Amino acid sequence: MTDTYDLSTDIVDRIAGLTPGSLTYATRHKRDKVASATQRSYEALFDPALPDLSLTDRLLVALYACTLSKAPALATHYAERLASIDADRAVIDQIAQGLIDVQEPRLRAMLTFTRTLIEAPIDGDKTALELLPAAGIPTPAVVALAQLIAFLSYQIRLTAGLRALQVLNATEAA
Amino acid sequence: MSRVIEAHGFTNRVLGWDAWLDVVELADASPEQITVLEESHPKAKESDYYLFLVHQPEILRQRSTAFNAIMYAPGGLPRAERELASTVVSRVNGCVYCASVHAQRFEQLAKRDDVIEQVFNDPATAGTSPREKAIVLASIDLTLTPGQVEPAQLRALRDVGLSDDEILDLIHSIAIFAWANRLMLNLGEPVG
Repeated sequence: MTDTYDLSTDIVDRIAGLTPGSLTYATRHKRDKVASATQRSYEALFDPALPDLSLTDRLLVALYACTLSKAPALATHYAERLASIDADRAVIDQIAQGLIDVQEPRLRAMLTFTRTLIEAPIDGDKTALELLPAAGIPTPAVVALAQLIAFLSYQIRLTAGLRALQVLNATEAA
Repeated sequence: MSRVIEAHGFTNRVLGWDAWLDVVELADASPEQITVLEESHPKAKESDYYLFLVHQPEILRQRSTAFNAIMYAPGGLPRAERELASTVVSRVNGCVYCASVHAQRFEQLAKRDDVIEQVFNDPATAGTSPREKAIVLASIDLTLTPGQVEPAQLRALRDVGLSDDEILDLIHSIAIFAWANRLMLNLGEPVG
């Protein structure tokens, strides 16, 4: 494994508004091992080849998680990715408005699990988890889904914190 | 010998953790899965948590790399303060298992447990110094309301002496426990 990655495609830098040459960008990339593992986590979680959990479903989960968390820049990012793979526009719009009850049962089970983990992780219990295998999702895909939602919770806070630091530095430099 | 602290269902005792669905049996693990377990944690092969997550080895590999770099890298925010932030986030999210582990790590690093007792009792007022109180408040705010984080909240950290490098480490420590707590809370439960 190498610790170099393509900085120009770093999703956290882009969403947080960090540009090369800025103070906050330089600060973040002193911890480049974290930055590269964050980017590689994103790439692994949205790997089109991951079985039993379509890329469309994963991007819909991401859109829903970011919408619930009031992370509009990330929500827009995931909506754009969905549009770029020609996902159903009506479904994208419904989920961006928080309408999950109208979705088909397997997707609805994933989105219900997403809402629990995002809004009230303490409320998740064995029964909530078992609804996923009951909806036809095998264990490795359950792991991928849980990691995806948990990663999104991290990505949302990381980008919010970095953006605030970037604004603070830009304000003080002005 | 450290003192046992118990409050509101939280504890600094050592706990175990059981997965709710089928874990990977070591005998059935692929060479890649074994490698990722060995990279992740010294005791990963005996842990339901890692044996469950290793159903997806590449995802676990990247998570472990990020986690270990955030919590153990030298320099920046003192490691005890990273553990304090992790304990606060775990307390706020209700993750008894993570709170126990990271309370113990704080105590090992800081050689005291006063602030842990405060965090277990009432995180909103915890902190034995202005610096600790600012770290605790930032941990609560970024955990509960990530959509409302303002530059002024980070200025409060600077006002008590944190550098930008330390603020970055704090943001990382808070954010990685948004990740860790959700796995621990929703894939299994603490035992013991």
